[in-house]
Amino acid sequence: MVTSPAQRQPKSRLWGSLTSIRLTVFLLLILAGVAVIGTVVPQDQPPGQYLRRYGQSLGAVIYGWGLARVYYSPWFLVPMGLLALNISACLVQGLPRAVRRSLTPFTWEAALALPERGKFNWPAGVDPQARINAVLQRELGACRRETLPDQEIYLFERGRYRPIGPYLVHLALLLILAGGLIGKFWGLEGSLPLDQGEVARTFEVGRNQHPLNFQVRLDKFLVQYYEKGGIPKEFRSDLTFLKDGREVARATCRVNDPVTFGGLTFYQSSYGSRPEGPVRLQVRHGGLDQTLELPPRRPVDLPGGEAQVMLVRVDGNLQGYGPAAQLALRGGTGHPQVFWVLQDHPELGQQPDHYQFRAESIPFQFYSVFQVKSDPGVWWVYAGFILLLPGFYLAFFRPAARWAVVLEGAASGGFKVRLLGASPRHREEFALSLERLLEGLEKGAPS
Amino acid sequence: MISQILGLVMLGYLLVAVLFLAAELWSSPRLQSWGRVLLWAGLGVHTGALLGRWAGSYQLAALHSAPAVFTDNLRLVILQAPLSNFYESLVFFAWTLPALGVISFRRHLQGYLGAVVAVLACLLLAYASFGGVDSRIKPLMPALKSNWLLIHVVTAFLGYAGFALAFGAAILYLLQDRRPRASLPPLAQLDRLIYRATVLGFLLLTLGILTGAVWAETAWGRYWSWDPKETWSLITWLIYVTLLHARLLKGWQGRRIAWLAVLGFMAVLFTYFGVSFLLTGLHSYLT
Repeated sequence: MVTSPAQRQPKSRLWGSLTSIRLTVFLLLILAGVAVIGTVVPQDQPPGQYLRRYGQSLGAVIYGWGLARVYYSPWFLVPMGLLALNISACLVQGLPRAVRRSLTPFTWEAALALPERGKFNWPAGVDPQARINAVLQRELGACRRETLPDQEIYLFERGRYRPIGPYLVHLALLLILAGGLIGKFWGLEGSLPLDQGEVARTFEVGRNQHPLNFQVRLDKFLVQYYEKGGIPKEFRSDLTFLKDGREVARATCRVNDPVTFGGLTFYQSSYGSRPEGPVRLQVRHGGLDQTLELPPRRPVDLPGGEAQVMLVRVDGNLQGYGPAAQLALRGGTGHPQVFWVLQDHPELGQQPDHYQFRAESIPFQFYSVFQVKSDPGVWWVYAGFILLLPGFYLAFFRPAARWAVVLEGAASGGFKVRLLGASPRHREEFALSLERLLEGLEKGAPS
Repeated sequence: MISQILGLVMLGYLLVAVLFLAAELWSSPRLQSWGRVLLWAGLGVHTGALLGRWAGSYQLAALHSAPAVFTDNLRLVILQAPLSNFYESLVFFAWTLPALGVISFRRHLQGYLGAVVAVLACLLLAYASFGGVDSRIKPLMPALKSNWLLIHVVTAFLGYAGFALAFGAAILYLLQDRRPRASLPPLAQLDRLIYRATVLGFLLLTLGILTGAVWAETAWGRYWSWDPKETWSLITWLIYVTLLHARLLKGWQGRRIAWLAVLGFMAVLFTYFGVSFLLTGLHSYLT
């Protein structure tokens, strides 16, 4: 970076580094590198996981240095903060100038200062105004005419607001980052597991219970499949919101279809079933049938006493086949065998050796888990998204170019025509337009 | 049926590549124009196959729940765009390359550059056909039932395609730079094409990330959750941001930009394939 003597003051040097593109590129690459680490090292696991996976020393380093939550660690937040500073500094430095430049009208004085690109002498007898108008209209678009005592100037300008474009983009990025911070500090995010029929007055934020200023009840949870054994079609929770025990609103919450009430938004995030009482089973062993009642997670001796069976869990709608119970059977010293028994489809599911199980009744209750949150930062983020669009449009689709054609009468009775123009950042398009304009002015536009 | 047609399209793209290469070797304008005609034909049939699959998955969905009113019907049409699994994404990605190529490179999409694009499209279709990818049309799982699916996937893959085009031009640039050949496009032109395709890819990837964020906010209540796919798309984005700043502000050109375009495309490939196969996350239904 070229610095003048005055800029070598410590403060200016700091400002110089803050606004330098070198810092930007350096920070971008650091952020990319840290993000790579975050996808390679599993995030948010308990410390034991890292010790097991990477060994004592490396595991301790990974956990101790914050690489287990790398996006919330200084490794990520410091370069991100510096990048925000870098962007802000560039905005402070460049935005006022860009705005001033965009507000400066394209005057004939400015036009005459543009570099000359071509010169023509037209004989007397042509209609120069019509010719110039036609060429400019065809190659560029509508232009403005200024008449001076001894010359006429045709002015064309495009992309006057282009210099603002990149600053809008960077402002948008700052808005998005600000939205993220606002969400972090003023947002609320938790989860709410609800049994069918249960009424909640609080929800879990971290390890604490956060009070709701209303009550919410899960009336019904439903999981539907397109066909049995296929892909789930819908997870659906019917909710009722209550205030002081009075029903205020009903709503259906689905995936991709959240429900907002009282400033909080509820998202369908998970579901499950829990046993509601013992499962009744028929067991056949050595030609003998017997009925068995299994309470959850408690081993029960099978008839004959050679084996034990335990109810592991129930599923209210296993892959669309209806209620099912997962059992573990342990005979002797071997590994337990784990298998499903389906109430409506006894033919499905693999039975263990020597025993045959049939489910008579599987009492269960669905529960549904909601992500509950309020995030005042979202609107800042969305504002940033929207601001990006005009920013990109101006920055990439409005190449700035200024053209002028100066027409003077010549002593011979003919005309002197000069083409002036500049487009410092878009040399390619400029060269193309220049070629066509020169050709047009040389030949004269066919009318 | 549609898989067989796509197999033909794959062969068509292969033939396009052969024609373009032959056109360069024998400097034959006639072979060039044959190549271009066949490329357009392949693109046309490919488009037809995509629409056919769209119609097929719409009919399947209408069987499960027939739409009653016009708006339901419209929503179902939008939802059933053939972009909901790995196979469909491969087929669509293969389509975006020649489609964006004719928009972005225009008359330059011939010769070696045209051959590179045709080979990439052919490889993607070959993977879709022979890579053991499940090509059956399946109903949509609840997470994908969103109006954002169409716009998110389309913008993201068009972004990938822009970067793939920039990669193709960059490879030619590096070859030309090492051992200049008269038959390859001139360096200055390749440099411009790299930049143009990169800008296009960058804008589209940005839109893809934004629409994905809005969708994630409505589906999970979080516009950003550091899911591996999200993170890798951010890494890709950062690489191209670096490229654009290096070029626009530091005046980088030529070889260094070409290498950055190659590096960026490696990140794109990892975002698309690597994340789906090596890392698990919210986007893992693609496999």
